[in-house]
Amino acid sequence: MVSLRVNGESREASSPGRSLLSYLRFDLGLTGTKYGCGEGLCGACTVLVDGQPLRACMTTVGAVAGGDLQTIEGLATADELHPVQQAFVAEQAMQCGYCIPGFIMGTVGLLNREPHPSPEQIREALAEHVCRCGTYLRIQRAIERAASPESLEEPA
Amino acid sequence: MTTESHPGEPAPDRPEGLSITGGVAVGFPASRTGYGQQTYGNTAPGAEGATWLHVRPDGRATVFAGKVEYGQNIRTGLAVEVADELRLPLDRIDVVLGDTDLVPWDMGTFGSQSTARVGVQLRRAAATAREVLLALAADRLDLPAADSAPAEGRIASKSDPGRGIDYADLLAGQSLEQEIDDDVPLLESSAFRVMGTEISERLDAIARVTGAARYSQDIQPDGVLFASVIRPVAYGARARSVDFSVATSLPGVVETVHDGSLIAVIAESDGAADRAAELVDIDWEVPADQRASWELPSVLVESGTEPFVMQESGDLDEGFGAASEVLESTYFIPYIAPMPMEPRAAVARWDDGRLTVWAGTQRPFGIRQELAEAFDIPEAQVRVIAPEIGGGFGAKSPYRPAIEAAKLARAASRPVRVAYTRVDETVWSNFRPAAVIQIKSGFTSDGRLTAWQADAYHSGERVMIGRRGSETPYTAPHVRSTVYRSDSPLPSGSYRSLGAAVNHFAREVHMDEIAAHTGLDPVELRLVNLTEPRFRRALEQTADLFGWGDSATPEGHSTGIALGIDVGSYVATATEVSLQGSDIRVHRVAAALDCGLVVNPEGARNQMEGAIIMGIGGALFEAADFEGGRVLNSGFTRYRVPRITDTPDIQVRFVGDDTTPSTGAGEPGIVPIGAAISNAVFGLTGQRHRELPIQRHL
Repeated sequence: MVSLRVNGESREASSPGRSLLSYLRFDLGLTGTKYGCGEGLCGACTVLVDGQPLRACMTTVGAVAGGDLQTIEGLATADELHPVQQAFVAEQAMQCGYCIPGFIMGTVGLLNREPHPSPEQIREALAEHVCRCGTYLRIQRAIERAASPESLEEPA
Repeated sequence: MTTESHPGEPAPDRPEGLSITGGVAVGFPASRTGYGQQTYGNTAPGAEGATWLHVRPDGRATVFAGKVEYGQNIRTGLAVEVADELRLPLDRIDVVLGDTDLVPWDMGTFGSQSTARVGVQLRRAAATAREVLLALAADRLDLPAADSAPAEGRIASKSDPGRGIDYADLLAGQSLEQEIDDDVPLLESSAFRVMGTEISERLDAIARVTGAARYSQDIQPDGVLFASVIRPVAYGARARSVDFSVATSLPGVVETVHDGSLIAVIAESDGAADRAAELVDIDWEVPADQRASWELPSVLVESGTEPFVMQESGDLDEGFGAASEVLESTYFIPYIAPMPMEPRAAVARWDDGRLTVWAGTQRPFGIRQELAEAFDIPEAQVRVIAPEIGGGFGAKSPYRPAIEAAKLARAASRPVRVAYTRVDETVWSNFRPAAVIQIKSGFTSDGRLTAWQADAYHSGERVMIGRRGSETPYTAPHVRSTVYRSDSPLPSGSYRSLGAAVNHFAREVHMDEIAAHTGLDPVELRLVNLTEPRFRRALEQTADLFGWGDSATPEGHSTGIALGIDVGSYVATATEVSLQGSDIRVHRVAAALDCGLVVNPEGARNQMEGAIIMGIGGALFEAADFEGGRVLNSGFTRYRVPRITDTPDIQVRFVGDDTTPSTGAGEPGIVPIGAAISNAVFGLTGQRHRELPIQRHL
């Protein structure tokens, strides 16, 4: 039996070898984290473990035993969106939206490490994420907006 | 202007409020479309009318449209059109899309026509509703039509604005129906309050940033089983024998299916299904003599058949005779893969002979028809629901997982989910057709075209794809443009702009070759041969937006420009590139688009940026490699797509006239960018790239 926390709640998984992505999406019904490639090359499955980005498609539940996981569903509070979510809404940084949860989680992870990234640092950190719709310019603006001193809050 | 008031017909079978109904044959012809002699009509012979708009007694309105949303933001765009005509705040509009039980029949969401066709029908529906509400208010308040006006969900007196009545109050306790008045006056652009403005929000934004948006891959009805479909090892491969014995013994496996070419394991979890599928023992027979990608150019030319003359005038011999120089060049564009972010998936459920399939397809009604035919049941027994769709780009018009899920659900007597992997989505989707294009031009020393001959060999059966964008806009007196149908070693089908980006690449690189031969500036050379004002304007505005010809281009950078037409819209792109090590770097792109009335500029701009970035992939990196019936570079490991680090600065300017009916904005951006980059790279390296992708040929 594997124990972990997901979005602040204690959870258990019976099979340590279970894909973390499948566990989140099907066992817990948290479908906000997406399957894009299964090879860790597109970023759509990005979650945070202890505040750092992780590709859920490339790991198992057992590998994150005891960890504190956050998915896209766990970012907003009951009353308001996370500043990064707000920034993506304000910049309309989305088209089909499929890559967006991954980008948002990757951004939160980046800002946890580096609260004031340069535009170049943003691009390097998010180069691992694919947006086939080509929304990169807006995504860049959204991340810069979220990282600006006015909108910054304490890392999650 | 209708002179009779239409207070709506009482309709006790309709829900409370006002239902606006109408037919599904919508649209208007665009006189010059770049479609290739064919325009879509969204018609369905015999399809019944439907409800397009329901103005509700709670003060809100519901829009029904058979279109689907896969990132073009038509959910917001269509709502904007209704909000304006109906004078109802945008945040009181709900939009229902792509559920065949609920929405009007639709031919499918492709060809950049949602705004142009269904949008216009919805404007008529909203305007019809507005007239009904005015008539009801006139009656209820004794308010003459001339003195009343709709605004913010209310009909009020113009002379005494405090005197009025909310739509909700007008409709409470009534069930009314009115058919769309085809001649109802639509708002003049001077009266727009929402259309054409910068809309600062999307209807689907919150769902997208919170993970609440549900895509086909996410659908899990109660009791759903997970299928792992075993795909053929190569194109044309046939299973001589299938042995499930080891697979069946795995825990969680519920069913195995071998139904024609459908071979699948069904299990209680995706993990169990995938593990079991690996243990299915299959003896495959693979057809020999399948072509490899390096043979593709000769395959295309040698197998070219059924020449179709797209354009013809004058006499080519005379034209070449009158030229001071003749130039012949050949261009090759390989297959590329659409690679939407969401691989296709479908979930099917049978309930007493009724079939429901969740399928994120661009053609819910088309898939409904295919399912009905496959199972020999009436279409009325089939419901297709398109959830959110993670990218379409033409790849999701065909939707095989729908029928696979339906067959497996029937076999298992429980709902079944079929989900493509990324490899499946590469290999078992359609590639954009590959093409060889031969161009021979004759011109005078001052750049005037005397003759233009183009022979284009496009792969695949769907000849409409290769014909799109194959007509030259340039005014040569002697022209012949011919498109051939060629063999296609890979499955080929729709992609953004169909063959237009391919045909334009060849033509626009060739024009730059003529510019180089005559010493003319590339913009000048094109203007010498363009009379159509909308083309000239798109080109000149792009040059202006870009700063073409000014001296500000940095050392080591080079610029290129190209123009085009697609889905009735005129477009040009200019780009600045440099070489960084062995990589082409695209620094900036400027694009002018004339798509007539821009209903939602923010949405159109987003689509233009996306199309340009997608086009950079096709220009620089993307190509499908194959051999022996196998794709060698499936998945993101070996098929490179544009990333945030490849993205240039992009400026878009809308240069159309808002009294011109809307034409498409989703596809044109991808049409000229490949040639613009090749033209820019020529200035950088002196190498003329007539073959894509450019990075491979540096």
